[in-house]
Amino acid sequence: MRMTGTEAMQDRDDLDNLFAAARASRPVPSEALMARVLADALAEQPRPAVAVAPVVVVPRLVPRLGLWSRLAAVFGGPGALAGIGSAAAAGLFIGYVQPSGLSVLGDAVLGTPLETVELMPDVDGLLAGE
Amino acid sequence: MPRDMQAEDLAQAGDEVLLARYAAGDPAAARVLTQRLVPRALGYAARLLGDGAEAEDVAQEAMLRLWRAAPGWRAGEAQVSTWLYRVVTNLCTDRMRARTRRRAAALDDAPDVPDGARGAEAGMIEADRMAALQAALDALPERQRQAVVLRHIEGLGNPEIAAVMDIGVEAVESLTARGKRALAALLAGQRGELGYEDDGD
Repeated sequence: MRMTGTEAMQDRDDLDNLFAAARASRPVPSEALMARVLADALAEQPRPAVAVAPVVVVPRLVPRLGLWSRLAAVFGGPGALAGIGSAAAAGLFIGYVQPSGLSVLGDAVLGTPLETVELMPDVDGLLAGE
Repeated sequence: MPRDMQAEDLAQAGDEVLLARYAAGDPAAARVLTQRLVPRALGYAARLLGDGAEAEDVAQEAMLRLWRAAPGWRAGEAQVSTWLYRVVTNLCTDRMRARTRRRAAALDDAPDVPDGARGAEAGMIEADRMAALQAALDALPERQRQAVVLRHIEGLGNPEIAAVMDIGVEAVESLTARGKRALAALLAGQRGELGYEDDGD
């Protein structure tokens, strides 16, 4: 059906009236929506630059410990290690040289010559019992 | 710009200034932008989608994208409102396409195109006229609907619509003219229902 000029003009007027009414009746956002959007905004907001002391990584001033230093630490420090070393050296020396004074002292303390001291007498007993 | 803007200064500041303030950590700027932009985003999305709940989701998502874009916003590159309308347009387009796919998948369940004020009588209430307009808008091709809503309901100028839709101004004029003609034709059959029964002819 062909519209007359008057009808077309009226349609345009109707449409303009409808548009005007639509502009006036724009949906109002709910408070819940506004709150959600604002919460998003605050969550995404870059933090303002605050004057806080920067975290400074202090370089290690103490040099990394070497093998001997760590070994000494295990045994209670360099002094203790020196003591242990001295005792070991003295033991080796006495074992090789076997000074005569030491034999006398050993006989006096043990009651028998050092060579005949039975370190495991029970084993001997068991063997003798066979 | 002074560091501490008063509330009235913020209310009068442009969108871009407010966005810069927001990016600088001013929560008051976020509040003013929300109050200013959400109604526009929501209104536009509601006209495109014809669904209030979906329009709310779109408005929130578009605003979220704005907040995220704020730190990298380059002054003078785009108007904030134009940018927002464009994001809303794209989000609505995605939803309309998803809706079309769902309808195609379940054709039998597809609802009829709403007919607005069918069955209403003379002296009908404003809501019925708006429903009829929405039904007619829904029946328009997508690009025509966008152009008509931006031009005649959101009140944007053709150059800004061209920027939103990423087309030339002449294309905007063509879309709005065709859209308006199609709307008039769609509504002509409902003239009585729209409350113009006794007008004119």
